[in-house]
Amino acid sequence: MRKVAVIGAGMTLFRRILQETGKELSFLATKMAMEDAGIEKKDLDMVIMGSAPDAFDGIHLKGENLLDGAAAANKPYVRVFNGGGTGVFAPIAGWWHVASGVADVALVVCEEKMGSCFPHPQTAFRHIWDPFLDRPLNTNLVWLFAMEMNRYMTVHNIKKEDIARVAVKNKRNAVGHPCAQLPDENITIDDVLNSEVVAWPVQRLDISPPSDGASALILCSEEKAKKYVEDPITIAGVGWNIDSTMWTNRDLYFPRYVANAAKMAYKMAGIDNPRKEIDFAEPYDPFDYKELQHMEGLLLCDKGEAPILTREGVTQRDGNLPICPSGGLLGVGNPIAATMGQKVCELYWQLAGKAGKRQIPTDPQIGVGQAWGDIMQMGTVIVMKR
Amino acid sequence: MTFLEKQTDPTSPMHWRGNMQADYLYLSGVAGDKFFKHLMKNDTFLATKCPECNKVFFPPRLYCEDCFCEIPEEKWFEVPSKGSIKLFTIATIDSYGKKLKEPKVIGLINIDQTDGSLLGVIKTDKPDEELQGVHVEAVLKPKDKREGTLKDILYFKKK
Ligand SMILES: [Zn+2]
Repeated sequence: MRKVAVIGAGMTLFRRILQETGKELSFLATKMAMEDAGIEKKDLDMVIMGSAPDAFDGIHLKGENLLDGAAAANKPYVRVFNGGGTGVFAPIAGWWHVASGVADVALVVCEEKMGSCFPHPQTAFRHIWDPFLDRPLNTNLVWLFAMEMNRYMTVHNIKKEDIARVAVKNKRNAVGHPCAQLPDENITIDDVLNSEVVAWPVQRLDISPPSDGASALILCSEEKAKKYVEDPITIAGVGWNIDSTMWTNRDLYFPRYVANAAKMAYKMAGIDNPRKEIDFAEPYDPFDYKELQHMEGLLLCDKGEAPILTREGVTQRDGNLPICPSGGLLGVGNPIAATMGQKVCELYWQLAGKAGKRQIPTDPQIGVGQAWGDIMQMGTVIVMKR
Repeated sequence: MTFLEKQTDPTSPMHWRGNMQADYLYLSGVAGDKFFKHLMKNDTFLATKCPECNKVFFPPRLYCEDCFCEIPEEKWFEVPSKGSIKLFTIATIDSYGKKLKEPKVIGLINIDQTDGSLLGVIKTDKPDEELQGVHVEAVLKPKDKREGTLKDILYFKKK
């Protein structure tokens, strides 16, 4: 396998509803990434699109609809999709295009337009369930995640305020992000604890918002990357893993599928001790408790230890192990697949010293990004190195 | 197969009835917004021209998909609401399998001065004639009835 470098990234504003069509959003993100890398459409060998259910945008064959905005017309093109895992899985697909030698330069674009779906994108989520066992109860995702969060809190005896700290940290981190939808430099733990209860223990401010947005990333064989950049950032390892669809029969306190994906990625990256070797992480944080669970799944700490590290300030941007320096999904927004912008583009920006106000001050060398999807079962992991 | 050979009623096995609720508000986008707003007040169309390859996009686009450059404001221009029939068919059955009262001519009209085409209904006295290449013009709703959608174009007819 060949080594793969990241040579450019782009990201649009994330907002509840953006006027741009999905194609236009894809164009804006792609154009930014191309300008960052200093390449043109003719330099791209292949294009990978990541986008979640067609039901969000309301266009079947969404991949085909978006392609001309993703510089893919008359190119080899494929859309990948595995629910919330897509934002990290799409660059993994880009990685195998280049690592295999099939492409020298591959563009990865991720797009989501959740603002089209009325009255709320949750209506699209209502149809992801088993039609016999889940749907008759009119199940929704928040109920399920609330049960998972409750289980996590119970097993480790975690206080709600130690989870709320994550929402506070990420919304504050997002203040430095030019694309952010919900930055808030004054938010407090009490704000989170006093927000409306949606399904106990999940409250309004524990949840990331639905969003419109797009992000893009340009991958290149390491050899060729030196043509564009002096010291290219490389993809050191990738991993993905999916757990049983019978989520009812699993203990949801720990995401073992994330741990499996992380082990795969760490092995490829030659990382034996992730706690020591990894400098910062972008775990998937659609809910505040998910950041904590995913830190544990990524083997960055012991089970149940993530809330303690958070309370001690270790996960702050200037802490020992910065977590979600981008501001995450909680602060920047959650256009499902397009969160590649926080989970993968951010690794590149941090490692290349291009993160601006969000720059981690301690000169990070290795970062890990992760996404989570389907019905609490998909883990996708990427490790990047300077 | 578990489906019995002579099964004729698909609801006889145990089942659950559901529907996929899907309501949408589609925004026409930055280029689309401009195009439809123009159509509400004018009897012409708008198009955009790529500054690099000179390809003329109709309906107008914000970017050229080939050169992958943004198309600037000054490359927007008016074109007549006329064109020539590029492709056509004569439909006799609708999307639900029902017989149409009278055959309907559906065509792709290449708009004059552009490289783009639009789907439209073509009104003609003789639906079976050779229509390919025939020049047509759009018949629009009266201005006070327009809503800024494709339905503002009622049909195309021979000049
Ligand atoms: Zn062009």
